[in-house]
Amino acid sequence: MHGSTRETVNGDRGTIRLPDLGEVESVRVVGWLMSIGDAVAEGDDLLEVETEKTTFVVPAPTGGRLARIDVAEGATVDRGGTLGAIEPTA
Amino acid sequence: MERSSRRPSVVGHLALGRAGYREVLELQRRLHARRRVGKIDDLVLTVEHDPVFTIGRTGSREHLLVDPERLDREGIDILDIERGGDITYHGPGQLVVYPILDLRARGLGVKDFVDRLEETAIRVLADCNIDAARRPGYPGVWVAETRADDARETRKIASIGVYVKGWVTMHGLALNVAVNAEHFAMINPCGLPVTAVSVAELVNPVPSLDVVRGRFLVRLGEVFGWELREIAREDVE
Repeated sequence: MHGSTRETVNGDRGTIRLPDLGEVESVRVVGWLMSIGDAVAEGDDLLEVETEKTTFVVPAPTGGRLARIDVAEGATVDRGGTLGAIEPTA
Repeated sequence: MERSSRRPSVVGHLALGRAGYREVLELQRRLHARRRVGKIDDLVLTVEHDPVFTIGRTGSREHLLVDPERLDREGIDILDIERGGDITYHGPGQLVVYPILDLRARGLGVKDFVDRLEETAIRVLADCNIDAARRPGYPGVWVAETRADDARETRKIASIGVYVKGWVTMHGLALNVAVNAEHFAMINPCGLPVTAVSVAELVNPVPSLDVVRGRFLVRLGEVFGWELREIAREDVE
């Protein structure tokens, strides 16, 4: 079901990347707070990642619909890595 | 940090005294939500909790080494919470500090924030004549000692566990001043074979929790470039 294609959705604007957390090289995915298809507004809480004894909630970079999830619970994501994608709603 | 050259900003300090964990958790969540929408400014809570074990997002009850019935008998609460990290203990004789802080507004990264909390504790411990340090890869503050049998032992004196949502922090740091060691021995903190140590085991006379709190606020202001000002609960609720 998550057999997502990797083509760009909504250009790079729709790509959900790990935000710059400072001198953090990688994080572990704790879990997603939204499901594919959910409507999201810019700044909404998308998923939790953990690093340095800190749970960080990744905010939606833009509004639309959650179209793709690239990283599952337990996955390690490097600095700037892609987490998923949001596509615009008509 | 370019921001450190600016004049100190005023940050409120709300002293909660001794309080139950669940009550303060609800307060933190309310204040976090209010900070996130800009209804209040950054602030720092300090508290001494009643005995409680909390389990962070990546933690597990497997690291609790005693029966839940024993916790009931001893009146120790246990709950799962949102902060990072595994199981930890809070209780009387421990200074707990919860900054509710908009990291982005202050130009702070997650690592920088954790580093500064650790740095504050290291300076406070130096004020208490204790040589404490970081341990790369293991957030928190540690004290290395040489035991009677000449073996080296590193024990944890302050723990970190943070939650950041909407770039606003909650939870924070716990510094063991004179904590019940029997309670700490009931867990495998952070899932590591780690033992905890308190200020009280390392120096004599032992500074009171009030004295350590005072030193912590001074060092916190120094490390973050803040001027801390006492506030009341009505100011933020």
